[in-house]
Amino acid sequence: MKRTYVNETLGDMKTMYEAYNEAMLELVKQNSDIVLVYSDYAKGSAGEFLQKEYPDRIYDVGIAEANLITSAAGLAAAGKIPFAVGHSMFAVGRAYNEIRQNVAYDNFNVKIVLCNSGMLWGFLGGSHQIIEEIAALRVVPNMILVSPADPVETKKATKAAVEHLGPVAIRLSATAVPTIYKDSEPFELGKAVTVIDGEDTTIIATGIMLEESLKAAETLAKEGINVRLIDMHTIKPIDKEAVIQAAKETGAIVTVEDSSIIGGLGGAVAEIIVESALVPMLRVGIKDQFGQTATPEELKEVYEISANHIVKTVREVISRKK
Amino acid sequence: MTYSKDLITRLEEKAKILRLDTIEMIMKAGGGWLGGSFSQADIITVLIFQHMKHDPKNPKWKDKDRLIVSKAHCCETVYAALGEAGYFSKKEFSLYGKLGAVLQAHTDQRTTPGIEYSGGSLGQGLSFALGEAWNARIGAPKDESGRAIPRYRVFCILGDGECNEGQVWEAVMAASHYKVDNLIAIVDHNKFQSSGTVEERINLVPLAEKWRTFGWDVTEIDGHNYQEILSTLERADKTPGKPHTIIAHTIKGKGVPAFEHKNLHFCKLTDDMYANAMKALK
Repeated sequence: MKRTYVNETLGDMKTMYEAYNEAMLELVKQNSDIVLVYSDYAKGSAGEFLQKEYPDRIYDVGIAEANLITSAAGLAAAGKIPFAVGHSMFAVGRAYNEIRQNVAYDNFNVKIVLCNSGMLWGFLGGSHQIIEEIAALRVVPNMILVSPADPVETKKATKAAVEHLGPVAIRLSATAVPTIYKDSEPFELGKAVTVIDGEDTTIIATGIMLEESLKAAETLAKEGINVRLIDMHTIKPIDKEAVIQAAKETGAIVTVEDSSIIGGLGGAVAEIIVESALVPMLRVGIKDQFGQTATPEELKEVYEISANHIVKTVREVISRKK
Repeated sequence: MTYSKDLITRLEEKAKILRLDTIEMIMKAGGGWLGGSFSQADIITVLIFQHMKHDPKNPKWKDKDRLIVSKAHCCETVYAALGEAGYFSKKEFSLYGKLGAVLQAHTDQRTTPGIEYSGGSLGQGLSFALGEAWNARIGAPKDESGRAIPRYRVFCILGDGECNEGQVWEAVMAASHYKVDNLIAIVDHNKFQSSGTVEERINLVPLAEKWRTFGWDVTEIDGHNYQEILSTLERADKTPGKPHTIIAHTIKGKGVPAFEHKNLHFCKLTDDMYANAMKALK
């Protein structure tokens, strides 16, 4: 099983938010246009450490996500590069119209940091576990949506977000993840990374589910099934060519995400498969259900998105190949 | 301070042009937000033609004062002012609301020089204005007390009905907390909203007190009295430390007696209405 850019042994555990803040500590110093805006979030963040040195470039609007997004839009209109930070559920859920109307509509240069994305934010339960954000954001014109898989990719995605002129939403998971990538990982917004090159089927994963998909790939390899594993870090714009090539060359697709299978990564890939490369396809993700209080490991089992479920789904999709 | 008769007369003439051009715009478009455009016309006139630092030949000037039209449906008098000031050709008035128009039905930053903010979703403009106002203070020189001397001011026009929206108060709290004294909110308090009077819909009283309690420096004025408009704007410039609210008591439809005190929210102009307007304004 040939693995590219990936550490042989998965490295140190770190949260994506920690990695994001490490990148931000450098970026704020390098680029005087960057302004940080938080929604009752600055504690433990880059903003807290930089407050004394850059007091007029760090703001916290409190528990007020609409004001978070729109004040960032005003800063962007004036020429700044604001990073608006909030819990994904509330930044997207409560401030959806603000993201759509004040940022995306005008293509303003706002970067939205969606913390604690996806189902796997354990203890805080169903009200906090967002399953809708991929579906909700990819349908907004001008919105770039990137979902990094590990701390290394998170830093690269953050730097790429600064370079891109226009709205970028960065989806960060809550729980600590191992360092999957080497620093040599090539990162470009909109270009998927083929982590394992295989021929029997393709797993397309995003974010925190890349780790789970790697485990599944290892199990399948022992059964003689060689999967291609693609890290679709940028969900919008999706790497259409990588999907079509994978479909044509491996004959079947399984998508893996910790968000709803309705309209999420699975939906985005299905749109391409149906129009351009019709092959058997199955989606692993949250099956149109709300979350609950549990540990991330328990949630993976209960909502059937663990490595075991990915393995079962791959076997099923292969059986559907002609 | 008392302002000269000449200045007042000049501004009144401008306001008349704005109201006339608004009538033409709405007539050609087949409808528009007549009442609310007229109630704010005198304030818009003072801002564009006297008080704000801006340059129609240079709409992208980084340090110009900003006008954020949060009540973005009342775009017609704003367009009339920007056209009269020279941001674009007045030929655009007859194309207002048509396919591909420079002048969209709600203020649109994408298409219109002089418009900063793409409105239409009420309650958001003040937050946008706050972000712009913060920017004016970033890296600005400081006075002896260490206060930033903002590079420009931000004026935000809100509707009174618009103050129903919760996000307005998020921005109000944040602006007060951050002492953003280069932010001036002007509430066009014409006592009506789409479905009726503000009183019967959602009681706002005491409106000035609400803003004051949230930490803003508040003045109430007659929104059609030029002495009051001018002097309260000047006072805001000289009152540091808090953001400023001007509650402008206005008359929806002001300028044409047949339109006043009626809730002409979005309406078409009949020939009679047009004739009335010409009689009152020409």
